[in-house]
Amino acid sequence: MAETLAKKSGPRSLFFRYGPEIAGLASLVVAALVFELLVRIGVINRFVIPPPSDVIMAFERVVVEEDILGRTGATVFEMIVAALAAVLVGVPIGAALHHSPLWRRALEDWVGAMAAAPIVLAFPLFLVLFGRSPKTIIVMAFFHGLAPIILKTIEGLSGTRKVLINVGRSLNMTSSQLFWKILFPSALPVIFTGIRLSWTFVLITVVGVEYLINLGGLGQLINELAERYDLPGTYAVIFFVILVSVFFFVLLERVELWLRPAR
Amino acid sequence: MAATGEMTAQARRAVAPAISAAPITARHVLLVRVSVALMVLAVWEGLSRSGLFYGEVIPSLTRIATSLGKLLVDPVFFKNLQVTALETFTSLAIGGVLGVLTGIVLGANRFLMRAFEPYVYYLSPTPRIILFPVMIMWFGVGPASKVALGALSAYFAIALSTAAGMRQIDAVLIRVGRSFRATTWQMATKIYLPAMRVPILNGIRLGMGTAIITVLLAETKLSNQGLGYMIMQVYTRFDMPGLYALLIVVFAMAGACNALIGKLAREQV
Amino acid sequence: MEDICLQPAMVVDDVVKRFGRDEQVITAVDHVSFNVAQGEFVSVIGPSGCGKSTLFNIIGGLLGDYEGSVMIGDERISAPHPAVGMVFQEESTFPWRNVIDNVAFPLELQGVAKSERMDRAHHFIDMVGLASFEKSFPSQLSGGMRQRVSIARTLISQPKILLMDEPFAALDEQTRLLLGDKITQIQQALNQTTLLITHNLTEAVQLSDRIVVMTYRPGKVKRIVDIKLPRPRTSDVVGSDAFGHYVAEIWNDLREEASRGMADSESAAARRGAHG
Repeated sequence: MAETLAKKSGPRSLFFRYGPEIAGLASLVVAALVFELLVRIGVINRFVIPPPSDVIMAFERVVVEEDILGRTGATVFEMIVAALAAVLVGVPIGAALHHSPLWRRALEDWVGAMAAAPIVLAFPLFLVLFGRSPKTIIVMAFFHGLAPIILKTIEGLSGTRKVLINVGRSLNMTSSQLFWKILFPSALPVIFTGIRLSWTFVLITVVGVEYLINLGGLGQLINELAERYDLPGTYAVIFFVILVSVFFFVLLERVELWLRPAR
Repeated sequence: MAATGEMTAQARRAVAPAISAAPITARHVLLVRVSVALMVLAVWEGLSRSGLFYGEVIPSLTRIATSLGKLLVDPVFFKNLQVTALETFTSLAIGGVLGVLTGIVLGANRFLMRAFEPYVYYLSPTPRIILFPVMIMWFGVGPASKVALGALSAYFAIALSTAAGMRQIDAVLIRVGRSFRATTWQMATKIYLPAMRVPILNGIRLGMGTAIITVLLAETKLSNQGLGYMIMQVYTRFDMPGLYALLIVVFAMAGACNALIGKLAREQV
Repeated sequence: MEDICLQPAMVVDDVVKRFGRDEQVITAVDHVSFNVAQGEFVSVIGPSGCGKSTLFNIIGGLLGDYEGSVMIGDERISAPHPAVGMVFQEESTFPWRNVIDNVAFPLELQGVAKSERMDRAHHFIDMVGLASFEKSFPSQLSGGMRQRVSIARTLISQPKILLMDEPFAALDEQTRLLLGDKITQIQQALNQTTLLITHNLTEAVQLSDRIVVMTYRPGKVKRIVDIKLPRPRTSDVVGSDAFGHYVAEIWNDLREEASRGMADSESAAARRGAHG
């Protein structure tokens, strides 16, 4: 009906197009300013919520004194190892389960239960089994990130449109050709969704366990700063972790969208 | 994945129907599951007795079973269970109510959705446990900080599910309500709410999952009661069979809660 | 007494509806006027993009902001009006209610007591031929059956004017012909004034007393055709000569408009491709 409303150029149209987003951002900035004011005049105890200006200044301190970039490197390293392992193990398992309907029906629910299970909770167990080292963190993150990849691999492969498979069979493709040239490419977008989910779980597990056992990169830093009662620093690092998390999430989301052609 | 490239096309087509014709019965599935479970237990027991692992790091199944038995009649366990359950339930209630309200607002109003939903969406996959120090500063070291953290965890999942549910309501159903001149209250109770039952319940299921984990983890970090605290106690005592037993029970309960709400979500009214 | 009988049930008078602002304005409905007499079955037919859905929303009161007037009696329609009952094109049964609760819905809104609601719902469910499905849920029914539920739900509020927007568009041809019979039966039994929006030529000729043919955008009234096929009518009429003549006559008008519509969407696609 009204589909050909043209986009107008110029600043006025920019406002119309991004008005809500700008309003949202603006209200957050305003909130921060309000907090700043309330802390300065003493309504809010600065030992409960530090003034945003202190937090911003703490950023610089945290980069220089606490080697936040180095620590980020340590955390990200752990994440990459765990995530890579999850992909290398999870995709083949998923493909195998897809290939055998019997095993799939038997085990898919179990994998689903594993995906929902609070694996992180067993960290004392892992500490005992693997000692107090990055290995423990990586192993836990690996297990947590494994299930979504298996599930999404199965989902992606079985979601291949029947007609495409029939095209392959009518061309006399072998089972292995069928897999690599039709099933796998078709499943790739969904598998990537699994990778994105897995990455999220891995990140949460790594940073969370680092915090809990006070070992490693960013999670440990938060712990230390909190124990030193360095509030602005603690807030600063928490924001930093959130930024890192959002950064990766957005990155992976972009790749995922790019992988999804119109079907 | 067997390579069948050597077979001729015709032979392959002859075989394929035969394979897919074999029906998978519930018995087959049960057989596979039981054998896998038995195999895992056998490997476990083998590792336990092999002496490869120090002390009781991999305790024998009988030891775990005994610990499990003792645990389930231990009054200390139930006392801690009560504490955790209360904390979880409260955090779910708070996070749930706020989440549903937020979701309704974001789902109903396009402007607010575009202004604020990105923040909720991108903040949700972040590790929530790291906010615990902040919660401690705000709410002290008692149960309140854990409830607050749990509520925050549950809030995101529930808000997002509710907002999505609002938007997925078939637009035509809204128009039906309007064409019959339903009042706002009637629209809300007779159209919006029933239409959103499933998404909201699913959101609650996810929210409950994260709330349980977050509350338990917070308890392990800093608490003197609750199941998380109990886990740490058992760990520091190096009571391995006890640790396994406790973890088994906690995982089983978390799984049961999840399954229960999942079933509610799937049920036809 | 005669005056009341002769007074039209609805008068659409010089209705104009434009969308957009400043440079990019689209006129969806362009000075459309016609009457609907009491007990008459009128169809509005036209190609996609002729503004018929806009007209549907205006008459139904879901689009209150328009120029001109749609009058029922002395009242100008600007919001959903109790005298107008709408049946939508899409699936509109509530999936969480069974058939009888769906049909009784309008009475529930009006606060009618339960036993009376149920009685009246029985009556209309019978009328659309779904008597043995009262307790079933929409997911258990076929598309055609679900549309019958929607129609019963609208009829139960006893609107002066039944307004339907391509209710059978998603159904196969044969189901459509049979449901058309049902509609004709009900309409004659109730003497229900009906306005049907459709793009389906045979459906319009089969069911209507008069057909309003619209042009492609901007939507104007191209022609109004009197359908003088005998009543009572069944789907058998589809085979008659007179039927064929009417269809041919109207297709003549429609073809030109439909071609314009097609050319328009092709050039729009070409523009999109060029920007690629």
